[in-house]
Amino acid sequence: MLYAFLFMSLMAGFLVHTYFHPPIHFFWETISFFSALYGFIGCILIIIGSKVLGRYWLQKKEDYYDQNE
Amino acid sequence: MEWFHPGAIYIFGALLIPVLKGRLKKVYLLLLPVLALINLLFMSYGLFLSAGKAWIFPFLGYDLILGRIDKLSMVFAYVFVIASFCMMLYAIHVKEDGQHLSAYLYVGSTLGVVFAGDLFTLFFFWEVMAWSALFLIWYRKTKAAFGAGFRYILVHFFGGTCLLAGILLHWYTTGSMAFEPFPWGEGVGWSNLATYLILLSFLINAAVPPLHAWLSDAYPEATVTGAVFLTAFTTKSAIYVLVRGFPGVEILAWWGAIMAVYGVVFAVLENDIRRLLAYHIISQVGYMVSGVGMGVVGTAAGEMAINGAVAHAFCHILYKALLFMGAGAVLEVTGRSKLTELGGLYRYMPITFHLYMVGAYSISGFPLFNGFVSKSMVVEASAMWHLPIIWLMLEGASIGTFLHTGLKLPWGTWFAKEKPICKAKEPPKNMLVAMGITAFFCTLLGLYPKILYHLLPYPVHYQPYTPGHVVSMSQLLLFTFVAFWLFRGMLHGEPTLTLDTDWFYRIAGKKVIWFCEKPLMAFASFVDAKVMAIVHFVIWASRNPAIALSIKKQEVAIGVKRLFVNPVTVRDDELWLEEKRKRYPEELPKLTLGGSIFLILLALFLYLILYLVSLHLEVS
Repeated sequence: MLYAFLFMSLMAGFLVHTYFHPPIHFFWETISFFSALYGFIGCILIIIGSKVLGRYWLQKKEDYYDQNE
Repeated sequence: MEWFHPGAIYIFGALLIPVLKGRLKKVYLLLLPVLALINLLFMSYGLFLSAGKAWIFPFLGYDLILGRIDKLSMVFAYVFVIASFCMMLYAIHVKEDGQHLSAYLYVGSTLGVVFAGDLFTLFFFWEVMAWSALFLIWYRKTKAAFGAGFRYILVHFFGGTCLLAGILLHWYTTGSMAFEPFPWGEGVGWSNLATYLILLSFLINAAVPPLHAWLSDAYPEATVTGAVFLTAFTTKSAIYVLVRGFPGVEILAWWGAIMAVYGVVFAVLENDIRRLLAYHIISQVGYMVSGVGMGVVGTAAGEMAINGAVAHAFCHILYKALLFMGAGAVLEVTGRSKLTELGGLYRYMPITFHLYMVGAYSISGFPLFNGFVSKSMVVEASAMWHLPIIWLMLEGASIGTFLHTGLKLPWGTWFAKEKPICKAKEPPKNMLVAMGITAFFCTLLGLYPKILYHLLPYPVHYQPYTPGHVVSMSQLLLFTFVAFWLFRGMLHGEPTLTLDTDWFYRIAGKKVIWFCEKPLMAFASFVDAKVMAIVHFVIWASRNPAIALSIKKQEVAIGVKRLFVNPVTVRDDELWLEEKRKRYPEELPKLTLGGSIFLILLALFLYLILYLVSLHLEVS
């Protein structure tokens, strides 16, 4: 089911690009599957980037403020 | 009657709440927003004033304008009134009158801000808005809520003071109290300083990083129903005043885009579901701030950006209220709000889950939901201005939004675990109905964006449902889901808290206070002691300066002699000094009151004589 949706969205992207010619503002909009790629890579980057930030800097024990206050 | 202020319906209406009882009170509470909505409809159809100014009161030579009516103030008033109805329905089972009272004061003062036509009126309602919201936090009655509420109000009092200082400076430099776009200039000068101070106070209310920590600190500590109110009014009225005062200030376009990403990053790390959603308020308000920054008046792209910011504020109020209602329902029935303590609740509360998901689809910008038709306007504006980095940041924030509010949070709360982690049930009926109505509005605006587009300040020539746009958004969100599914192991809640800029006033601030209390105070008392020693010496010496001088001279001479001569020979000198000290006059007798008055009169008399003599000399 999910795979079907994924495939359909990629196909639709390709078809839309060939037949409708949506307006292009940036060079990457010429790639029909750019959004899929950006969604996938962007999501992974957000997860890993934030987790690294949290692990090494921002995340503290829950009683952090109680101990220091 | 020509016009009646919708905010006055709430503010004066709220006073009757404690008098009423039972079912009548519930009906009355829901009646007030209905009356306000009818009032707004009368205004839209021109039965009341449909544009212009009303309720003008002269004050200190200036006009206080309580009713400035145009399309911009009307669209915000509409969404505030509609949202307040849904929120009050959600909260109608709450027994404490104080909560309802402060909620309606809060709504009423926000409407006061929206219709304010001059800066004094703005400031007045701005302050009422700040403290009436405080009680929605304090009514939770926990230690954490009390502390967070205190930090919240301190930040807002700081913001309010900046606003007042800015307004007074603005008044001083321009002589005008009108609330119109502020002259934007760079550099140091009184008029620029005024503008910066006003902007600073607006940005604090809009929760723009690094001035945002009050929001993610305080909102999750509020009561279940209070938090729903809080999501809508403070930040969105800040967007309204930014649109009014600072359209097209370029730095805001960048700041907003950074803000959109900032909220997303912090939401990854968050364990508390309501705090996670609070970070998404910051992220979503980022789109609006960015839209204001791109909203250069008089250009097509600028009008698109302003329309986008306003439309997104409109939609955001509805879906964010819905999301907080869903998270609040979980808190209400389980008493838990941390992902590490939740899971598998779908079996008990499927209706809450599905209604929550409508909000989640809306905030993520799925086609057919309202976020899609408003968020894309801001993104489109960034494309029209050819700002590729802002475009990428805003689209990237959409990914993160869906990842957390659409996937991580519902998965962790309603699924994630095989068996439900605790007992639960659907929340009270009124909460479900309120969520249903809000969800209805979210989908209605997604399906018929024309309703919303008609209300916007500029005419809209934008069609969100183009094949290209629908497909690219679907691709973006579907593949976000794929990445989530692969990495879902990393997205379990962790029992931690996340440092944010509130660290500066919670920890660093404490250190500053320690510095003031310990080293700084020690230094101060040292200086104090030295100064007092000098004073005592002067008093002592003034009894007989000649002898005092010779005593001091002798002391120095003995000290010098000791260094070179046998101590025995110095002894005579010391005895002589001792004798001299004994003969030194004692403390002078204290004057009686009569004596001092006599001396003062004597001095005045002498002065008079001196004056008369000098006058006489001058004449001659």
